[in-house]
Amino acid sequence: MDGESDRSSFWKKNLKTVPGRPSPKREAKNSSKSKTPGSTSFQDFQASVSDAWEMDDDEFCIISATENTRISKRVSQSAALNVLNTHRNTAEIDVSSSERNNKPHIAPEPNTVKISRIPGRPRQLHYYNPPQEEDNESKLERFEALLENPPSLQELSKMSWSGIPVKVRGITWRLLSGYLPINIERRNGVLERKRHDYWTLVEKYYYTEHDETNRDIQHQINIDVPRMNPSIALFQQKTVQIMFEHSIQDNYVFAQVGIQKKVLQLEELIKRVDEVLHKHLKRHNVSYLQFSFRWLNNLLTRELPLRCTIRLWDTYLAESDCFATFQLYVCAAFLLYWKEDLMQERDFQGLLLLLQNLPTQSWTSSQISMLVAEAYKLKVMFADAPNHLLSNSGDS
Amino acid sequence: MCSKDDEYDYLFKVVLIGDSGVGKSNLLSRFTRNEFNLESKSTIGVEFATRSIQVDGKTIKAQIWDTAGQERYRAITAAYYRGAVGALLVYDIAKHLTYENVERWLRELRDHADQNIVIMLVGNKSDLRHLRAVLTEEAKAFAEKNGLSFIETSALDSTNVDMAFQNILTEIYRIVSQKQIRDPPEGDTIRPQNVEPIDVRPTINPDGSRKQCCQ
Repeated sequence: MDGESDRSSFWKKNLKTVPGRPSPKREAKNSSKSKTPGSTSFQDFQASVSDAWEMDDDEFCIISATENTRISKRVSQSAALNVLNTHRNTAEIDVSSSERNNKPHIAPEPNTVKISRIPGRPRQLHYYNPPQEEDNESKLERFEALLENPPSLQELSKMSWSGIPVKVRGITWRLLSGYLPINIERRNGVLERKRHDYWTLVEKYYYTEHDETNRDIQHQINIDVPRMNPSIALFQQKTVQIMFEHSIQDNYVFAQVGIQKKVLQLEELIKRVDEVLHKHLKRHNVSYLQFSFRWLNNLLTRELPLRCTIRLWDTYLAESDCFATFQLYVCAAFLLYWKEDLMQERDFQGLLLLLQNLPTQSWTSSQISMLVAEAYKLKVMFADAPNHLLSNSGDS
Repeated sequence: MCSKDDEYDYLFKVVLIGDSGVGKSNLLSRFTRNEFNLESKSTIGVEFATRSIQVDGKTIKAQIWDTAGQERYRAITAAYYRGAVGALLVYDIAKHLTYENVERWLRELRDHADQNIVIMLVGNKSDLRHLRAVLTEEAKAFAEKNGLSFIETSALDSTNVDMAFQNILTEIYRIVSQKQIRDPPEGDTIRPQNVEPIDVRPTINPDGSRKQCCQ
């Protein structure tokens, strides 16, 4: 084959003119370079994405009538409620007694979000503004009260575990992730220093695309990033794409050995907690890699609507080790959630089509709350059995 | 789940391979659901779909595995070549590099797939006429030299998509049924549930002809 052609000039010429194909790198680089480093551009960015976060974000406690019957069938609700309540109660700070008597989060709400679905077919996500519940108000108040004074990180984690109100999500994520210091007086100084450090690093490492050694990887990244989640406007913003681009560069590992290990651990875990489901999958030659690789590789972002991913991250950030181990239990709970449907599938095709196209389009925070509660239960159950994930039997 | 879709005479596993961004997932969605998405997501690992077609009054169910084209998933995707009786090796007619990499993909198949796998070279995005970077004749000659079938397709405007799958499935069917006549299998016939590697003859058709498509 003819390998003589000048690849780079060839690509650029083509890429520019083809709609829906990856956008040329050149533009992205120039736009980012022309930006003045500093708080102005950061604030611009923040302002420009804030709507994307809110548009899509529903508060917890919303549950559709159809989904509700499904949950009560599926999950042992009392156990999950216990976990939720434990978290809620321990997260309570000094609030009035009336607020203490709030109903549990998962109280049924006759709010129907009917989204039709064709089986075996991924669907565009639908956005809607769910009605607010009075419970939100009190939760927000509790958060605001806690955030007003230097909060204890432990208290904040506890309260965040069951979901963070939109209004205080930004600040809470920054505190939980260690980006902002707890001490209010120190925040401005630290923030200024961190941004300064950041821009220094940008100058030093950002423009690596001219490196000959990186050209292949850079080429692949330029193809991948725009295709990550094309239906969501946020992911099509230049700034967001550039952020992802550099994140991919930093975390690129051939063959994803770590993720493959997690897939094995997931299999071991399911074998332990639900042998019936495990055997059902095995009987039909479904391997865990075929469906859970994407779950673990993309942290379930491909399987869940964006609003649910954001809600999931409230819990992830509130977990003590972030989500290094918790993610595994969430994936296990996610698989177990579909057990009933999976058991009804009688062949390999049916199982795999379902597992690769799970109908979560109408999911809200409620389902995520149940999911993390179930995951928490699994985690606690296995906390005293450190060897439970050791994979010595390999394939079963 | 006992829909009519589940009744078939043959089940063939086919893999879609090729560089990322050449349109593998859209070829699959066009064939199995008649859908096309200009802004499709990149495939993570492998994705899966099926469709049945009729050949000689027999129902052939294609179990198609759409693999991620990215280098970094190669270790994962290679595992899916096992048991495949057909491969659609896709490149983008508007991106010469994706055509240059066809040789690398053939090597991948040689290393990981059954040696008798039927391979069809597919030049996709034939709608991008003004951007064509790979000549039809050149690709056709390359395919002939390497014993591959060849077709150009457009998942966007549907050109030849059904034809590509029809051709490769028919080719596999002919080889398998020829084989059954020549040396009858130990069982009665090929069992529908059986997805084990079928001993497929070399990719040249018995009569020496080649299914081709010309624009």
